[in-house]
Amino acid sequence: MGQTPHIAVIGGGSTGAGIARDLAMRGLDVTLVEQGNLTHGTTGRMHGLLHSGGRYAVSDQASARECIEENRVLRDIASHCVEMTGGLFVKRPEDSEEYFEEKLEGCRECDIPAEVVTGEEARQMEPHLAKDIDKAISVPDGAIDPFRLVVANAASAQEHGARIETHSKVTDLLVERGEIVGIEVEHGSGPGKRVHGTAGGTEEIRADYVVNATGAWAGRIGDMADLDIEVRPSKGVMTIMNIRQVDTVINRCRPKGDADIVVPHETTAILGTTDEEVEDPEDYPEEQWEVDMMIDTLSELIPMLQEARTIRSFWGVRPLYEPPGVGSTDPTDITRDFFLLDHEERDDLPGMTSIVGGKFTTYRMMGEQISDHVCGKFGIDADCRTADVPLPGSEDFSVLRDYMDEFGLRSPIGRRSVERLGSRADEVLKTDGPNPTVCECEGVTRAEIHDAIEGSGSDLNAVRIRTRASMGNCQGGFCSHRMASELHAEYDEAVVREAWDELLQERWKGQRHALWGEQLSQAALNYALHATTQNRDRDPADGDPVDFSAFDAGRSRAGGVADADVAADGGTDGD
Amino acid sequence: MSDAESPDTDFDPVAPNTGEDFEPVDVFPDSDDFDLRPGADSCYKCATCDTNCPVAAVDDDFPGPKFQGPEQWRLKQTDDDYTVDDSVMDCSNCMRCDNACPSGVPLSQMHNTARGEYVSEQMDKLSVEYVRNRILANYRTSAFFASKVPRLANFAMNFGPARWVMEKTLGVTSERDFPEFARQTFREWWAERGGQATSRENAKAARNRRGLPEDADKKVAYFHGCYSNYNTTEVGKAMVRLYEAFGYEVVAPEQKCSGTPMFANGMLDDARRHAEVNVSSMSDLVERGYDAIASCTSCSMALRQEYPELFDIDGIEKVAANTFEAVEYLRIHEDLREEVREAEVDGDLAEEFAYHAPCHSRNQGLDRQAVELFRDLDGVGVEDVGDSCSGISGTYGWKEEKYEKSMQIGEEMFEHMEDADGETGMTECPTCAMQMEHGSGYEIRHPLELLEAALVE
Ligand SMILES: Cc1cc2nc3c(=O)[nH]c(=O)nc-3n(C[C@H](O)[C@H](O)[C@H](O)COP(=O)(O)OP(=O)(O)OC[C@H]3O[C@@H](n4cnc5c(N)ncnc54)[C@H](O)[C@@H]3O)c2cc1C
Ligand code: SF4
Ligand code: SF4
Repeated sequence: MGQTPHIAVIGGGSTGAGIARDLAMRGLDVTLVEQGNLTHGTTGRMHGLLHSGGRYAVSDQASARECIEENRVLRDIASHCVEMTGGLFVKRPEDSEEYFEEKLEGCRECDIPAEVVTGEEARQMEPHLAKDIDKAISVPDGAIDPFRLVVANAASAQEHGARIETHSKVTDLLVERGEIVGIEVEHGSGPGKRVHGTAGGTEEIRADYVVNATGAWAGRIGDMADLDIEVRPSKGVMTIMNIRQVDTVINRCRPKGDADIVVPHETTAILGTTDEEVEDPEDYPEEQWEVDMMIDTLSELIPMLQEARTIRSFWGVRPLYEPPGVGSTDPTDITRDFFLLDHEERDDLPGMTSIVGGKFTTYRMMGEQISDHVCGKFGIDADCRTADVPLPGSEDFSVLRDYMDEFGLRSPIGRRSVERLGSRADEVLKTDGPNPTVCECEGVTRAEIHDAIEGSGSDLNAVRIRTRASMGNCQGGFCSHRMASELHAEYDEAVVREAWDELLQERWKGQRHALWGEQLSQAALNYALHATTQNRDRDPADGDPVDFSAFDAGRSRAGGVADADVAADGGTDGD
Repeated sequence: MSDAESPDTDFDPVAPNTGEDFEPVDVFPDSDDFDLRPGADSCYKCATCDTNCPVAAVDDDFPGPKFQGPEQWRLKQTDDDYTVDDSVMDCSNCMRCDNACPSGVPLSQMHNTARGEYVSEQMDKLSVEYVRNRILANYRTSAFFASKVPRLANFAMNFGPARWVMEKTLGVTSERDFPEFARQTFREWWAERGGQATSRENAKAARNRRGLPEDADKKVAYFHGCYSNYNTTEVGKAMVRLYEAFGYEVVAPEQKCSGTPMFANGMLDDARRHAEVNVSSMSDLVERGYDAIASCTSCSMALRQEYPELFDIDGIEKVAANTFEAVEYLRIHEDLREEVREAEVDGDLAEEFAYHAPCHSRNQGLDRQAVELFRDLDGVGVEDVGDSCSGISGTYGWKEEKYEKSMQIGEEMFEHMEDADGETGMTECPTCAMQMEHGSGYEIRHPLELLEAALVE
């Protein structure tokens, strides 16, 4: 063992990234490995609610207290990822009065600032709420962008010396003499930033300690060393609306139930969710009725949702964990709290701790506890600083700038760009060259795309989660090719093509669950555009480089004959 | 539901943050803070609107209707500190984008609302641009004073040194001649002629002549607008005589500016004040069975579409549903085609006309009516000069910094006028007429004048 312990963290979700940052800031050597992109797991498929704790104020007060505490911390250290929208627990006439009172009481017990507002006041804040609502409780809920937050955590870890490996899957735990001493990793495209087409390879990463932060996958990692980790994955659906029908988080004030929350997120509103246990965190059914049910049920709170445009739906799996012996049958009864499973204490296998359960909102606190735990193992006494030091991008900044004067951007585009980039805005947006808008729906310019490419290599899905490009109403129809062409110069055609295909695939995936009404028109138009201008309906160019000489070049100018052996049927020059 | 099939989006525009006097159940009073984000749901980004925008075609700095409308609204939030991009002031409000969109996006409503917000919240009220726009938008006020001293006004308004000063201090282009003020306004003529009583008599006589029942329910309220009142009074007079000849009793109720130039300049408070007067006097009459008739296509557009889109005023929907353009109305209710076929024009108006359809007539589906109608009229020829925009768009072409662009937009129309057989122009819109005259030197007439010549003895 060298002087500085080397810690391998498995999992690039909020938990893993938070741990990596914390340990790196305490001076430890850290390697984070993630099988996909950052946020590939549940973190990239969640609701984006910065909990005030209100949702747990009755059923799970310990979680509620943690939430409000971390809510305050994140507003500070992650200000460029957070929008403090405020939240309402709305009671409809048929909802229980008793529960309303319990909720209010619960919030007060947990120190969550809560205020009763009349139905009228609630409708004044949110005019699209149903006319017949009774009243509501207002709480400090917020919206948080999980992508930006995780990327910022990883970037901060990197600044403190950590090594971040995405597209690198842990295939085995190295066990020697009754102790876990490292991990075996299969790289998708060689170490470092991902570049399509680069050969991968297997690497053994030896570590003084391993942290398993793979959420719903934690059991799989456990299996590699015959450890039993009883994670109970539970799926939930979320539907993204094209615009924000509300600017406040809207919760239904009733004990528990599906489809009871709408979170305004960036340009969209996200409806959620359901809670249903599944066997396999990667392979579970995505069903149409789940989406229908969400829209129907939430229309009771916000009637206009019934007719509003949805742009896609997606599912995530909660990494719920229940200590042995509790035996809840309904997944909504399982605690949202998190647990550290030290496999030395628990299974007599030193060298690794798993962290399971919890929530996105409390990721930092989870990171702090496990970092304390790891430091304890090595007798290191270093303070946790993650609650005080802002994330990269969240240092002092103002979103109110003269966008045209300073960046040459039209005001809504400048505003959105600065909101996303936070304190990095000047560094990224002040460019010498022309800076056209690449993604019009979300207002993302070339400069921001290039910044993302610098951070993540040729992976356009990674560019997408950093910038929101292609996440608006055209779902990549009008910008995927533009994003792809920004890769050019640095990457060659084959790489660009592969990255572009992958992005399009991903964009279509979520739209499958939104193909009616306006989004169907959009999809039809996208398809027609891509088919006719990019030959996407039947691509002979796929894979092999295009043999341009095989195309008819028309009659030759000098009045001679076109090359005899190229297509002889066309060739009518001029139009 | 496919939005392409039912282009009417049926969302309710509502106004958040209306403050104290908020009335949560009914409508949202006196506020221009519409939340039009839901309108962005219908946009599938095809950019057809952009390719139809005459300003975007000549002004590289103008981002175009797609950005201005659905994109800006979707990116904007209702928070007060989300600003509107100043480029919305470069839109001329020609409303061609409305017509072009295959998907029913309420583009001009979005532009108008954003512009209103920009002007009331972001524009410096002491700036030359604001003062200039306010003066241009409130043409009625200037015209009112000028009409008191028409001869002096006609001289002063086009007096070289005065125009130079106006351009330098106010940014009103000196390239254009101000329209001439009539010696007697339409309303003065109307009063002198005996107002409604005379009209009733004339209508009765015409019904007798036509063998119609004397008490036939034929009555219309004329919205003459500012221009036929102060400037081209012959259009207003033609309307009255023509309608009376068909047996209609005409009234000319109290009215103010339709608001068209105010929408285009984001002066929504001014527009609302005027609209309140117009709606109140028109809705009384509509309740009593009158239909509202305008001779200017932008006025009919305002009453029909912009009013209900932008304001909540009692009776506004009903007025909108009962407003018509003057020729359109006769085509619906009379056998105008047959009468025109049998008629003949000689004298002054026996001409070949180069006809331009105003953009706002296009939005009402009226862009072909003059050509179709006069096709069968002996003694005249009417030739359509194409579907381009004239480029003046009301006040747009009067702004010093917009003058060149306005003329560039008009280029296509000027060329087609030049190519057309006739040397007289024709259009329904008074500002299009100014532009046509300015670019070609032709005299410009209104279809009502020709109908009067053909059908009224
Ligand atoms: C529907 C839904 C809505 C939610 N909404 C909210 C909310 O609004 N607010 C909130 O606070 N919380 C919410 N949560 C909970 C929250 O999303 C999760 O608790 C949190 O994101 C978990 O993060 P994680 O890093 O622990 O797990 P994950 O994000 O799943 O990270 C684990 C990572 O490990 C990687 N991994 C797995 N196996 C391997 C391997 N062999 N090698 C390398 N890498 C591997 C995975 O790819 C994955 O990226 C929601 C959860 C769900 C399901
Ligand atoms: S109203 Fe006319 S000028 Fe304005 S954006 Fe639409 S088409 Fe362009
Ligand atoms: S024409 Fe209509 S659907 Fe097409 S981009 Fe413009 S607003 Fe959107």
